[in-house]
Order: sequence, then C-alpha cells, then structure tokens
Amino acid sequence: MIKIENLCKKYGDFSVLENINTEIHKGDVVSIIGPSGCGKSTFIRCLNLLEQPTSGKIFIDGEDILDKNADVCKLRQKMGMVFQSFNLFSHLMIIENIMLGPVDLLKKSRQEAYDEGMELLEMVGLANKAFAYPDELSGGQKQRVAIARTLAMHPDIVLFDEPTSALDPTMVSEVLAVIRKLAAKGMTMMIVTHEMNFAKNVSNRIFFMNDKGIYEDGTPQQIFENPKKPKTKEFIYKIRTFNFTIEDKKFDLYAFNSEIENFLKNQLFDEKRINKVLLVCEEMIYNYIFKSFGDSFSPVEFTLRYSQQKDETTLLYKSELINKSVLSAAEDISRSIVDKSVSSVECDDNTLTVTI
Amino acid sequence: MTITNERNNEQLTIALEGRLDTTTAPQLEKFLSENTDGIKDMVLDLEKLEYISSAGLRVILGAHKQMSKIGSLKLINVCDEVMEVFDMTGFTDILDIE
Repeated sequence: MIKIENLCKKYGDFSVLENINTEIHKGDVVSIIGPSGCGKSTFIRCLNLLEQPTSGKIFIDGEDILDKNADVCKLRQKMGMVFQSFNLFSHLMIIENIMLGPVDLLKKSRQEAYDEGMELLEMVGLANKAFAYPDELSGGQKQRVAIARTLAMHPDIVLFDEPTSALDPTMVSEVLAVIRKLAAKGMTMMIVTHEMNFAKNVSNRIFFMNDKGIYEDGTPQQIFENPKKPKTKEFIYKIRTFNFTIEDKKFDLYAFNSEIENFLKNQLFDEKRINKVLLVCEEMIYNYIFKSFGDSFSPVEFTLRYSQQKDETTLLYKSELINKSVLSAAEDISRSIVDKSVSSVECDDNTLTVTI
Repeated sequence: MTITNERNNEQLTIALEGRLDTTTAPQLEKFLSENTDGIKDMVLDLEKLEYISSAGLRVILGAHKQMSKIGSLKLINVCDEVMEVFDMTGFTDILDIE
C-alpha cells in the first residue's frame, strides 16, 4: 500500500531522517514510538508531504508521490491526518466542519455529506454535538470530531500525529477508544504516540524510531517484551544512563562519586542505596579492574544504567585490557563486599558487567 | 576524611569523620604509623564515619593485627551503613565492636 525507499529529510545541513525504507500493508496499524525529537512526527508528516522530503521515494499504490508529475492533491486525499491540535474551524458547527471536505473536495451533495457526517459523529459518540461549536466541546470531544472529519474524506490510511498529547489525562481514553474501534474495523493507520500500553494493544507493528530512522521494527510483542537493539531496550525499560571515562589510575574518585550520586538522586535513590552503588563501583574499579591491569593501563568507559521498570542498576566497565582475568583479580575482602552486594558479575567482549 | 585524636597515656581514641575509601585510607594508615608508639589500647570512634570500602577495612585490619600483639583495638559508635560492610566481610567476627 505504501512503500518508502531511502527517505531522507534535512533542515539545512541538519539531517532528521536518513534512508528510511519500509512498507505499510493494507490493514496495518503501526504505532511509531521513540524519544522526543527523534523524528517521529517529521516522518509521518513527510508521508503526506506536509514536510517535503529531501530525497527518497514514497509509493502509494505503486505511484511515487514525490514524482514531479504526481497528482499530489489526489494522492493526499488517500491519506487522512489527525493532529495533536485539533485544527477545527471555530466559526463552523461540528457537522459543518465534517462536511467541508466532502462537499468542497469530493464534490458530494450537502445532504450526502451531512448524512455521512452524522453517521461518523454517531461512530465517535458525538451525534448530539453536531450543531455545537468547537469551543463548546472538551479537548477529547474535539479530537473525536477531528477523527470523524478525517474519516469523512474516505482515506485509505489515517496518520495520527500524537493524537492524545494535548489532552487532559481524563480525556485520553475516549480518543484512544475511537482509534481502537477503527483498528477493529481494519482501517490502515500509522500512529505517533507516547501511550505505550495503547501502542502495545492496538497495533500489529511498532516502529521504534531513533538514530534518524526506524531503529527497530517488530510486532508489539517483539518490541515491548523482547527488544533486540540497545536503544530500544533503553527506551522500553525506561533506562537512564550515566557515562564517565576513567582516563588514568589516579582519576578523581570524588568527582566520579559526586556525579554518580547526583545521577542516582535524580532516580530517587536513598542515601543507603547510593552508598551501596558507590561501594560496588569503587571495589570493581580498584580491586578488580586496576588490579587485573597490573602496571598497564587503558582507559575505562564506565556506564551506569538504571532501569526504572526493573528497578535494576547495571554497571558496565569497558576497556581494551579487560578480560576474564578481572573476575579473579580481587582479594577476599573486596570479593566478599561485591558478592554480597550484587546479583551478577560477568565479563565478555572487554566489558565487565555488574548487576545490582 | 577528618581524623581527630585524644591520647591518654597508653590509650588513644581516634575519631574518623567522612569517608574511608581508596583515596583516604592511606591518610589513616599514615596517621596510625606515626601516632601509635607506646599505645596499648586503641579506640576507633566511627560515629561520623559514613562510608567504608575494602581499602579502609584493610587499614583497620592492619591496626587490629598490630594492636592484638601489644594490647587491644576497639571500635565504637559504628553506624548501620558501616556495620553492614563489617557484616559482609566477616569483620564483626574478628573485631571488638561496641
């Protein structure tokens, strides 16, 4: 239905999307998730040319909409779009907002547009608001009207750009319920969303966007329960990360401790728990790693990851000189502290991984 | 870490404040080597010691070994966090902690 080839988008020299390749099939419900600023909205806006892609091809039913000779207006009509802000005309009644497109663009009679509009309002649960003005509606109601207005154009696919982000939390569910209803009817949809549970339950595909593209693409089960790639894991498991490079053996332990302490305080660790992490960090660095290095040294890339979801802290020490000998380097006192403070210590690929 | 001490004939009470870790352990080691001549009873007051790592434990273990030959070493006012590290390492079994 939609085939995207090498889609790129730049703002000046700043590249937002690079070489996106994917296909959307009829009936797909694709949720697009990812950290803020990763290009989710830009991607979806490129699909209906609200943003002009810098390069690449977008085929809709075999026709390249970026081709100079393409009838963009006609192709655009195949794609409906629901925005974060509802963009209703405030001087028109709800039913008039819905009839506008079908009458002006699809050249339907006012009666036909009205009848269909009322059916759609019924579907989104707002038939009794047909003659109200947008300002009389709540945010959730306005968004449901916006969805009805989009559907009135009989699109083949509906693109949702964060449809619930501007809503009061109490109104999110009513909008999601309508989208869920559309999914059940087999409507093809792409939804940029921060509602993870919704994405998990309503979609058959998830695009996790990062690094200027679709970083990982899979079923909800694959992405939410068994993400494969590191940044997907960080995002899904709500992992917060702290990095520090140990440049030499006489590095500033206090500065290191102080930065970790600040990071962990932000994760709401209490003092006792912070001390435990600092203790393990210190033991690993001096009594495992430096000891296994002997007289040699190679910089150590230290990463502390905290998974909010698992409530788990992981320490990673990566260095050219780290190998399995690090596991047996420590003396008894240090080993006792570490053994009784951590749940696992592993060494692989020049990386020592400690889970607390 | 701050080290304060009070000598009374052959008894020396040393109060530690702050963190006894890889960076500060040599400071305590140096202090002990310079101030323990003629001492038979040593007391380490750890009321204000908030953190200890294996580097600090090794210095305390050294002091324990030295003092057990000529007298005694006692640790007092150990806070929970430090006591937990003593427990992990079995120090509670070998040190005189009050």
